[in-house]
Amino acid sequence: MGFSFDYLLQGFATALTFQNLFWALVGCFIGTLVGVLPGIGPVSGIAILLPLTTVLPPTSAIIMMAAIYYGAMYGGSTTAIVVNIPGEASSVPTAMDGYEMAKQGKAGPALAISAISSFVAGTLSVIALTFFAPMLAEFAVVFGPPEYFALMFMGLSLVISLSGRALLKGVISMALGLTAALIGQDPLTGASRLTFGTVTLNAGVDFISVIVGLFAISEVMINVEQRITAISELNIKNWMPTWADIRQCTGAMIRSTAVGFFLGLLPGCTPSVTTFVAYDLEKRVSKHPERFGRGAIEGVAAPEGANNATSTAGFVPLFSFGLPTAPSMAVLLGGLMMYGLQPGPLLFAQNPQFVWAVIASMYIGNVMLLVLNLPLVGMWAKICKIPFYILGPIIVFCAMVGTYSIRFQIFDVWVMLLFGVIGYLMRKLGFPIAPMVLASVLAQMLETALGQALLMSQGSPLIFFTRPISAVFMALAFLSIGRGIWSQVRAKAPEVVTDDAEY
Amino acid sequence: MKTQRAADIAVGCFIALFGIFIIYASTFITGGAAHRLPPRTFPMTVGILLLLCGGGLALKSWSIREADLAISWPDREGFRTILVMLASLACYIALMNPLGLPVATFLYVAFSIWYLKRSKWLMAIVISLITAVVSYALFIRLLGLSFPEGFLFD
Repeated sequence: MGFSFDYLLQGFATALTFQNLFWALVGCFIGTLVGVLPGIGPVSGIAILLPLTTVLPPTSAIIMMAAIYYGAMYGGSTTAIVVNIPGEASSVPTAMDGYEMAKQGKAGPALAISAISSFVAGTLSVIALTFFAPMLAEFAVVFGPPEYFALMFMGLSLVISLSGRALLKGVISMALGLTAALIGQDPLTGASRLTFGTVTLNAGVDFISVIVGLFAISEVMINVEQRITAISELNIKNWMPTWADIRQCTGAMIRSTAVGFFLGLLPGCTPSVTTFVAYDLEKRVSKHPERFGRGAIEGVAAPEGANNATSTAGFVPLFSFGLPTAPSMAVLLGGLMMYGLQPGPLLFAQNPQFVWAVIASMYIGNVMLLVLNLPLVGMWAKICKIPFYILGPIIVFCAMVGTYSIRFQIFDVWVMLLFGVIGYLMRKLGFPIAPMVLASVLAQMLETALGQALLMSQGSPLIFFTRPISAVFMALAFLSIGRGIWSQVRAKAPEVVTDDAEY
Repeated sequence: MKTQRAADIAVGCFIALFGIFIIYASTFITGGAAHRLPPRTFPMTVGILLLLCGGGLALKSWSIREADLAISWPDREGFRTILVMLASLACYIALMNPLGLPVATFLYVAFSIWYLKRSKWLMAIVISLITAVVSYALFIRLLGLSFPEGFLFD
């Protein structure tokens, strides 16, 4: 079940069929578009399109969804470099030097080096994913319900504790996500819960409606409030970096890949964290740190590399353990479950064609993205010019279509609207959104694993502490909670979220 | 609720009340008593968590008086724009079944573009027409998804 070249070659054979190549290209295109356009990010993009992909075979659909995710990392730098508008928190370090380069007339090389760095980091990370994921999956075969519960509990704890000094807000956000997911029938007994006797609520609240509302609708509301009109003003002529530029960035690309990948394996360590770490590291190792913030090309290469490495690293815990480390991964997990695939160690054993085809498609997708981003970088920069008064209503239309097509019920669209308002208020009031998304997707698995574990132990919760692997996960979970409480007590400051990137 | 502290106190109280409501609603969940994890346990736990964390947030914010932050609420115009956009989205959802996807989409997109940029009414009509035609051709005809088609196509 571990890594084998035969499986990888079979994966390439599947990924290279015309149909899968076509959907990978569509995913890369949409992903770059989603990254470039303000008001819509990878989570919304994947969540909106997920229900519409039910007409596709599972492998093609997930290849496309994955391509949207890593494609968005390529596109995210464009607005940061061209107009100094970092669409996401992870693009802030890119904007610091990228926009300075643009002002010096080097927007083209900055955009190109960000595409090249993304390609290098993306490809190196897929190589690491190829070897790491089956290795971890082999280790995870011994996992039973107690280990899975402890793992998910640890994942949620890490996501909450990494959301800045907002521990209580993080737990509230998670509890609200769980509440939404608990509406409907109990997975173990079939009993109706929190339905108040209504038939519509008996079917439950679909996580897609929740996520599209939280991300797409609330983002449109924020943009409407800020009255964003036109975006791009720069006129870019010279597109290609010199060989000297590329040589200068080689070290930055490799270092940022390592930083992004290894930190990206941890739940809650989103690109918005790793890009800053990679940028800081590059500044420290540079012989001329004073150039950073004034148009240093390594200052663009490092965060863009870390960005892509982190996004690919997220697939390792997703495929090996079934653990999403970020909202986008939670949506992909939901997508896999929609197709009847259970991510985790058995995915490699029971569906090797599927999982290896998706991994192989990432190698191909990275090449596609380089081709899409290098020669077409001018086109992407021009797309930034689409004014928000056109973009906003079209995003809402896409959100409406995506949400309605989950179950073809208007109820789901009302839920989307409700969570749009909740998402807007959460952003304004400084509540992290990531714990809510992860909880709404993980709730059912969490409860099922807890129920099965308690059944195994005849009701004793000690089972989580007497089995070595689950005991380690529980210890890490309590350590991260303890760390969060300690930093809160020490800070004696209001609850403030560090960031809530849309990844 | 102009400052973070005031907002956190208010939201904390609201969340605590919501937690009480969830605990109360959980008491009506029946069945599964023989199970190790009865169906009411998880919702009840979540309700308790909401009550404790909501109360904790309100108390903590009440006790910290220094380093208060202002919340960047929109100005009056911004609030009005958001409310109009939300109301138009609510109308879009409500009109989806009676009018069908293409017509409701045309009305929503045309109104929204016109409202956000009054001078571009012709562009609003052209783009909304294109969106409506694409919604019909792509989602209803090509993909065969079960969207309401509306009176135009009956």
